[in-house]
Order: sequence, then C-alpha cells, then structure tokens
Amino acid sequence: MDIRISGVAKVFPPDIVALEDIYLTVSRGEFVYLVGTTGSGKTTLLRLISREVEATRGHLTVGDFVLRKMKSLDLAFYRRDVGVVFQDFKLLSHLTVVENVAFVLEVLGMPPKEIRERVGEVLERVGMWRRRFLYPDQLSGGEKQRVAIARAVVNSPSILLADEPTGNLDTHTAEDVMQLLLSINASGTTVIMATHNKYIVDAYRQRVVELRGGRMIRDEKRGRYEEDENF
Amino acid sequence: MRIFKCLLRDTLRLLLRHWGVSLLTLLTAASVFFLVGASALLLVNLRTMVQRVEEGLVVQAYVKKVEDLQALEGMVASIPGVARVEKVLPQQALQRLGATLEGHAQALEILGENPLPPSFEIRLVRAAFASGVVRELLGYPQVEDVVYAGKLAERMARISSFANRFSFGVLLVAVVASSLVLYNTIRISIYSRREEISVMLLVGATPTFVSLPFVLQGMILGVLGSLGASLLLGGAYASFTDFIRETIPFISVIKDPRVFFQLGLILVGGGVTLGWISSWLAVGRYVRRAMRPL
Repeated sequence: MDIRISGVAKVFPPDIVALEDIYLTVSRGEFVYLVGTTGSGKTTLLRLISREVEATRGHLTVGDFVLRKMKSLDLAFYRRDVGVVFQDFKLLSHLTVVENVAFVLEVLGMPPKEIRERVGEVLERVGMWRRRFLYPDQLSGGEKQRVAIARAVVNSPSILLADEPTGNLDTHTAEDVMQLLLSINASGTTVIMATHNKYIVDAYRQRVVELRGGRMIRDEKRGRYEEDENF
Repeated sequence: MRIFKCLLRDTLRLLLRHWGVSLLTLLTAASVFFLVGASALLLVNLRTMVQRVEEGLVVQAYVKKVEDLQALEGMVASIPGVARVEKVLPQQALQRLGATLEGHAQALEILGENPLPPSFEIRLVRAAFASGVVRELLGYPQVEDVVYAGKLAERMARISSFANRFSFGVLLVAVVASSLVLYNTIRISIYSRREEISVMLLVGATPTFVSLPFVLQGMILGVLGSLGASLLLGGAYASFTDFIRETIPFISVIKDPRVFFQLGLILVGGGVTLGWISSWLAVGRYVRRAMRPL
C-alpha cells in the first residue's frame, strides 16, 4: 500500500501547530526514517497514518483508504493492515509474551491452530520463543521491544509504524532491533520509523525524512541523520 | 463458535477480575428487583381485594311506582359506569328479606301490607363510578332514594388509585437505580481494561467485538440479580401467605403459582433488558470516544 500525504496540517487546540504543509509519498516496501528533534512532529505524523489523529487540513490516503471521516468498521479493517510499535511498548501486563502476541490474532478471529503457528513463527523470528511464558514485567527493555515488534507484525501488515523502537536501548540491543526491522522490511513490509538514534540512521542508510517545527525540511534517499553538506 | 468462546472467556474474565464489584452489583440488582417484585405482588393483591369488594358493591335506587321500573330501566342501564341493572319488585324484596331472616320469617306477617318499595339493584364497573351514578339517579324525579355504601366505595377507589401510583413510583425508582448500578459497574470494568481496549482498537478489533463482552457482562448481572430476587421473593411470599392465613384468615391473598411464574418471567426479562441497555450505553459511549481521532 502506498502512502500519499498531500498538504497535510495538524493543529491541536487551541492553536498548537504540530504539522504544517506536509507532502510525502512512501511507496510499498520502502524503509523511511523520520528524524527531527523532540516536538518536530514525528510522532504526530505516525499517528496520522495510524489514524489516531485526524488531519486538520490536507489529504492522506493509504492504499485505497482515504483517512478522513472513516467509518468505525472501515477503520478497524484499515488498522489490521497497519502494525504499530509504540514508544512505550503498550504490552498488556497481565498477559504473557505469547498471549500478548496471540491477542492480536484472537481479536481478528483467527482459528487457534493458525494462531499457534503464526505466534510461534514470529516469536522465533524476534528471538523471544524461549521467553514466551514470561510476563512483560519480567522482560528487559530490548525484550519488550521485540515482543512489541512481534505483536505489530504477527498478522503480516503491509505497513509497520515504529515510534522510537530503539529509544532507551543500548547500542547492541538497538542494532538487534534494527536488524529485525530490516528483515521485516525485506519481506515486503513498508517500515516508517521515527528515531533520534543518529548511530542507527548513519549505520543503516535508508530514506531519511527530516521534520523541524512541524515542517518537512528534508527528504533524502539513503541519507544520514544530519544533512549532508553536499546535499 | 470460536468468536463465541472468545467472547465467553472475556466476559468471565470481566466478571471475575472485579468479583467484589460484580457481587455488589448482583446484590444491589437483586434488592432492587426484589423491591419491584414485592410491590408488584402488593399491587396484584390490592387489586384483587378491591375487585372483590367492587363486585359486591351494589347501588340500590328506590322508585315510587312499579311502572317506573319499566320506564327507567333503559336509562339507568345507559349511565356510564353501570355494569348490570336488576329490577326488584316489592314482592321479590319481601322474599329476600324473609330469606335473610331465616327462622324469623313469621315476623314479616306483623307488617301486614308489603312496605318495601320497588327498586333497581345496580352493579358498577368500578367503585370509582359510584358517586357519578348516584348523582345521575337522583336527577330522575321517579327515584325516591338511593342507598349505597358510599364511603366504602370512595375509600376503595382511593386505595386502588394509590396502589397504582405507588407501584408505578416504586417501579420507576427501581428501574433508574438498577440501571445506574449496572451502568457504573460496566464503567468500572471498562476503566480496568482501558489499556486493553485501546490496544484492541489499534490492532483492528471492531467496536462490536470490543463491546460484546461488556454487554454480556451487564446482561448476566441483570439476569442473576433478577433470578435471585425472584427466588427470594418466592420464599418470602410463601411464608407471608401462610402467616396471613393463620392470623387474618378473612383476608384472601393470591397464591396462584401462575401469577408467580409470570412475575418471575417479567423480572428476569426486565433484568436482561436493563443489563443490556445500561451496558450498551456505557461501552458504546466509551468505544465511540476511544475510536474518535484527536
């Protein structure tokens, strides 16, 4: 699914401009870093795409979905195709790792056999199979992030939105998580990742979109965290 | 089937996770439905008593001549509130008097000529019509006098109308109270699962899928509460009727199992409906708000 953002602005009441005049197209299968300082609008842009936030102005389409005045049923179906990795993980503390991941598929009404297979597969992939019966409180930050990624991709969404997935992680764990995101992207999923991690962005060069004060100031293919002087 | 199992599991989880609140709701709902059932039984008994007294309530209108009976019969029968009119000739009246005197019938012989005037014996649709009917009757010149248990009729009418109003008031208070209790229980459950609900909605659960366990929870609490109240009411009413029969035998209370079964059905039906409506309102409002983008 292609993402097309055209002239989008978001103003939170009373008059806080979070995004202004954003034009961006992300093709299917791309990997995009959203970079910028705190308050630059990265999270708002991700939340616009997951439709937790509605644009004040402009048009935003994802595949065939026009993200404006969506009916609740359409929104539910749309969200099944968009995985989200939250900055604070949003894992359910009373469920084990395996239950947290299976929960998504149960919500979608998948047969138990298929749920077991898919959850097993995805937990193997993120390296959490051995820790599957632990509760979120018993996991480290990196492990929680892996579970959050597993939950976001278990139903094979077309788009994965990751908000600071390497925030608060040490370099080694951050690299592991990054490798995981790249492998998910390699299987055809579009990945949009908001990050502050200069090391990761520079080490794994992908398309970089930079925001400042809610405006898009850079869109560079295989860019660096900071603007190249020759760009 | 799979969705149904998932739904049942979620509902049980909701009921058990806050078992204290669930129990409290159950007890409150049962008390409220008990009150509704008790007031309904009181009303049915009062109505039956009033009806029995009303059936025996007769307005006796005395006319001047026997011919007046024929002339007035049609007009009396058409007065609003009159159920049945019977002509009583002086001879019939004397026979009735003799019958009531039983062994002392010879006492009538000392009367000589029959002193009893011809009359109409009028039965009413309801006691409340008595004063109106009497007023109409006194308007006819042929009518000499009207005798009826006026005070009793008016009192019965007042009791009947009070019982109606009282039961309606109790019902209204009970419905509002149980709805509020159920509504708030569901809100507490929603609050305890708000994180889960927000994740469910973000991964693509439909509003119906999210709402159904809460709605089912409300319905289960409503059914269990009303069922408990019905059973309790059954036991209490049986003891009450036994007590009445022993201590005040001339008051007849209803002990028809069909009436009780119907009341139980109404209470349980009411429990389901209230549970459904209150929980649907609570969860619907929350889910709509949660799905609304910022």
